[in-house]
Amino acid sequence: MARRDPLLPNAAIIARREYRDRVRGPLYVASTIVLMALALLVAMSPIGIRYFDRQAVTHIAVVSTDPDLALQAVAVTDSLLNVAPPGTDRTKWEKAFAIDNVADGAAAERDLARGRLAGILKVERLPTNQLDIVFRTSGPPDGVRSQLVGFAAIAVGILDWTAGLPPDAQLGAFQTPAFRIEPINTPTDNGRALDPQETASRAFLGIVFVVLLFMTVVIYGMWVATGVAAEKSSRVMELMISAASPRQMLAGKVVGIGAAGLTQYLAIVLPALAVLAFQDRIAEAILGPDWAAGAPIVGLTPALLLGYGAFFLLGFSLFALIYAAMGSFVSRPDDLQTLSLPFSLLAVVGYISAIGALGGGAGPWITVASFLPPFSPFVMLARLMVAAVQPWELALSIALLVAAIAVVAVIAARMYAAGVLLYGQRPGLRAFVAAARRAG
Amino acid sequence: MLRPCERNPAILARVGLEIDHVTKRFGATIALDGLTFDVPPGEVFGFLGANGAGKTTTMRICLGIVAPDAGQIRWNGLPVGDLPRRTWGYLPEERGLYPRMTVLDQLVYYASLYGRPPDRARREALAWLSRFRIPDYADRRAEELSKGNQQKVQFIAAILHDPDVLLMDEPFTGLDPINLVLLREAFMELRDRGRTLIFSTHQMEAAEAMCESVAIVDYGRLVAGGRLRDLKRASGRQWIRLALDGPSPAPDWLADLRGVDAVRRNATGTELELQPGGQPAAILAEILARGATVAEFAVVEPSLEALFIELVGRPAEDDVVMLPASASASGPAPGSAAAGRA
Repeated sequence: MARRDPLLPNAAIIARREYRDRVRGPLYVASTIVLMALALLVAMSPIGIRYFDRQAVTHIAVVSTDPDLALQAVAVTDSLLNVAPPGTDRTKWEKAFAIDNVADGAAAERDLARGRLAGILKVERLPTNQLDIVFRTSGPPDGVRSQLVGFAAIAVGILDWTAGLPPDAQLGAFQTPAFRIEPINTPTDNGRALDPQETASRAFLGIVFVVLLFMTVVIYGMWVATGVAAEKSSRVMELMISAASPRQMLAGKVVGIGAAGLTQYLAIVLPALAVLAFQDRIAEAILGPDWAAGAPIVGLTPALLLGYGAFFLLGFSLFALIYAAMGSFVSRPDDLQTLSLPFSLLAVVGYISAIGALGGGAGPWITVASFLPPFSPFVMLARLMVAAVQPWELALSIALLVAAIAVVAVIAARMYAAGVLLYGQRPGLRAFVAAARRAG
Repeated sequence: MLRPCERNPAILARVGLEIDHVTKRFGATIALDGLTFDVPPGEVFGFLGANGAGKTTTMRICLGIVAPDAGQIRWNGLPVGDLPRRTWGYLPEERGLYPRMTVLDQLVYYASLYGRPPDRARREALAWLSRFRIPDYADRRAEELSKGNQQKVQFIAAILHDPDVLLMDEPFTGLDPINLVLLREAFMELRDRGRTLIFSTHQMEAAEAMCESVAIVDYGRLVAGGRLRDLKRASGRQWIRLALDGPSPAPDWLADLRGVDAVRRNATGTELELQPGGQPAAILAEILARGATVAEFAVVEPSLEALFIELVGRPAEDDVVMLPASASASGPAPGSAAAGRA
């Protein structure tokens, strides 16, 4: 009895209508323009921050009752905080930090409270001859600046200690040691391990990608659900079910709305990516060559873009199919929020896991989630950005995702076929399962 | 039920629509219970029953939207699952159009889904819009149209791909008299072009005016089916159509007349159902003896509405109370399926 209609051409006709209906909407155009501007703003933000950094010098006061100690602390802190980027002409480079010896401790405290100072380094000698160094700061206690000041404190201690050596002791000038971190789980580019600066940039870009992926999957997925629900509430579905099969309608909706989402996504992301890709030149034009050298490196490669595109399409397909089945089960769009909440939470779990991975998390859950649909689009993308991923791992993750989409598509088509005929019933899991059985 | 091919050799090759012992359950509820009847091809056919009688489910099975648990539906001898979707046109009971889409785009869209080339669909859609006196609405959004005009657009959407069979669920609901006439004329034109039109309705007058054959269903079973003329003759009852001069409504004493079984009042007058052996002349004499002035007195066959009430036991406006499967065997399914296909 069941008629088996081919997907084409009806799925394509439906997809075209869905696409046009969305991209011609004034809300779509307005939101695309606003989001495009926001994305450009985000892409330009590192250069912008750098631009304002160049204009502003951060002041740190050194306060001590011992003038020699104060001078030593000023010199060491200055050498640690004001490191010129490699290749910079030191004669033109302007220091980002001004380290000054301030005799009036109370005045320094007032300036700190008013925000004129970013910190006060208090250096005193205890009766036991041990140095007591306190860094009072308005910034975070574990920030990079605080850590560097901590290094400076140790260096001041060493210098003070070596000052007590016999006068004839032969010591060269003190040199701030070079220090670098070599993590073993770093991302690679064509087999080359990325340097820390590139890794940091990748983490930043990873957050942008994961947030975009989460937003697009959930927002565009909900477009599908509301589209189906609106057809039901306006009773258009009654006419559609005789003109096209549930498979054709489901495929047409997912493809059409997915294409509309992809169009908006490209309109938002391409200009932003262009900014990121040419960030060096833009930074040089705005900041000048000396400051541009210190601007963040993007670390964006065609392979990463391809990876993002693949996980976007696969992730959207998976969630759009689920959302379409949801949409078919409600009689009014208002009921969608309730029914789709558990499935949106799945996306949230994937998103949080991905953010954890970007923050350096590499536990068993991150590894498992990077293979496990529906979390894998988010988590594997995050791992790709900031960790070493073997080619087989990537292939397995994508294969599992494709297999999950195939299974969900079959189930969603059955549920859709049953759901579109349900009216006036409160959506619930029991009705969902019962209707899916009936559809068979 | 007489098959049309038995009467008309010209359409021997076309056997029309065969609903063949179709059963459908939804959980514990039986929607169709071995429903069986034929629809002659090239006719306007009335599919009558109260809400919940199984009409929409039957139509959905025809369209392949719902699968039957047992039985088969065939069109010209072929199971409906083997037929292309464009065989059917469907006007659902619930009206709905894409609110923001223009009327013409909408019509071309639906026709395209049935395989109609867009240019041809556009041309034909404009012709139908003119025919229904709404040519200026082609480029308007559906949400700007009145309900009646939306219904006309939806009817055009159902026929634009020129289907062999047009299934319509309550097509006259919400239409004003002028649009009702336009729709009836369209029905007749489609019938004259050899199309088969099947519609369900509560409006018995409309069904009586247009249908050559009907099927009356109740609780998912056929109560009676066949040529309307034959069904009326088979009922063996006579009715008197009566109109009295003077204040309406008709006086209550009409029910007390000897030989009168029932009195039914409607907008156009009063109908008296005669008891078997009742004498119209004696009844007329008694009415005149009571001092009434008779404007119209005619012995007629029962109306379709009267026939429906006689066969089903209640008016078509009364909903069917759905029965669980366990109760249906001894349930109140009235009438007999004797008029259906053997």
